[in-house]
Amino acid sequence: MAEKFDNLEEHLEKFVENIRQMGIIVSDFQPSSQTGLNQKLNYMITGLQDIEKCRQQLHEINVPLEAFEYIDQGRNPQLYTKECLERALAKNEQVKGKIDTMTKFKSLLISELGKVFPEEMTKYKAIHGDDPPLIVTLDL
Amino acid sequence: MTEMFSNLYGQNEAQGPPGSSSLGFGPGKPPPPLPPNQVTMAAQMPPQHGDEGPALRKPGAMNEPFYLLRELPVGNELTGNTNLITHYNLEHAYNKFCGKKVKEKLSNFLPELPGMIDCPGTQDGSSLRSLIEKPPVCGNSFSPLTGASLAGFRLHTGPLPEQYRLMHIQPPKKKSKNKHKHHRPQDPIPQETPSDSDPKKKKKKRDDDPDRKKKKKDKKKKKNRHSPDHPGLAGSQPNSNSLR
Repeated sequence: MAEKFDNLEEHLEKFVENIRQMGIIVSDFQPSSQTGLNQKLNYMITGLQDIEKCRQQLHEINVPLEAFEYIDQGRNPQLYTKECLERALAKNEQVKGKIDTMTKFKSLLISELGKVFPEEMTKYKAIHGDDPPLIVTLDL
Repeated sequence: MTEMFSNLYGQNEAQGPPGSSSLGFGPGKPPPPLPPNQVTMAAQMPPQHGDEGPALRKPGAMNEPFYLLRELPVGNELTGNTNLITHYNLEHAYNKFCGKKVKEKLSNFLPELPGMIDCPGTQDGSSLRSLIEKPPVCGNSFSPLTGASLAGFRLHTGPLPEQYRLMHIQPPKKKSKNKHKHHRPQDPIPQETPSDSDPKKKKKKRDDDPDRKKKKKDKKKKKNRHSPDHPGLAGSQPNSNSLR
């Protein structure tokens, strides 16, 4: 998997370098540079052919559109990864808090119902299994 | 549904107001015995557990011994109770991206890419979004340029106009204390290629560089200004800012 990316990266770097050199030649063009420029133009086309070949190996790769927003703004796309991880962790903590609260509530409710409706709660526990309360003391 | 409910509990209204006692709740009160016709009704009723029944009754709901008692849902092994970062083995990624400071600019992610890449793509029409919204026409295979096609690339000699010159200039990079051996030249001098290995050609290219020409001109002007033989003002001229 990483080899496919390395291959594409290598081709892209060569392509960009070729274009950069063409820009330098063109910035102050001399008649003797014509053959070099023609050669670089053909290198550019072979570079595009190589990149086209790489595309077939990577057609299963999906890139989130939000990462493109970062690149268009001139920002590091690793910041998108960072923000995704932070949001995932924050949401994970939030949901864990909800689960913990609901679990405590369930335990508290069962214990209080057991005090008020002992017979009914015995029947309930017989159906759903003896669900021992998860907390012993109440945090009031 | 309402008819069945009233059939089950409607006759209790004649006995007394329906309250918690009629449903079997309340501290220590036994549930009232069902009248005989209600017992037969209960027997005739289709089984409650798991039947589709009327549309209002939710699936899996039982009425015995508690009204609308449902089966507990099958618990998922993976819930928010688990640390998902650890579960999916992302600790390394988390430490890498969130433990250290990630640099803001795109040029820090792609240091080898030439040009001004930290500017927004919308300014010069090079955004990826525009590429997605208006993809270029493609489908034809790439074929090398023939002699006739290359005729269109015969350029005029001389430097580019001013407006196009900045395309190859890189933004100034901060000098790091640890100098890397791999150092990309800032001046627009092409790297060594097999065709340019001749030292004479290298020297020629350096002389032809427009920035260097400007620098030389400025230096000459400075020398001329400060020389005693200069016919103009001597010593009182402000220093012109030379190009880098």
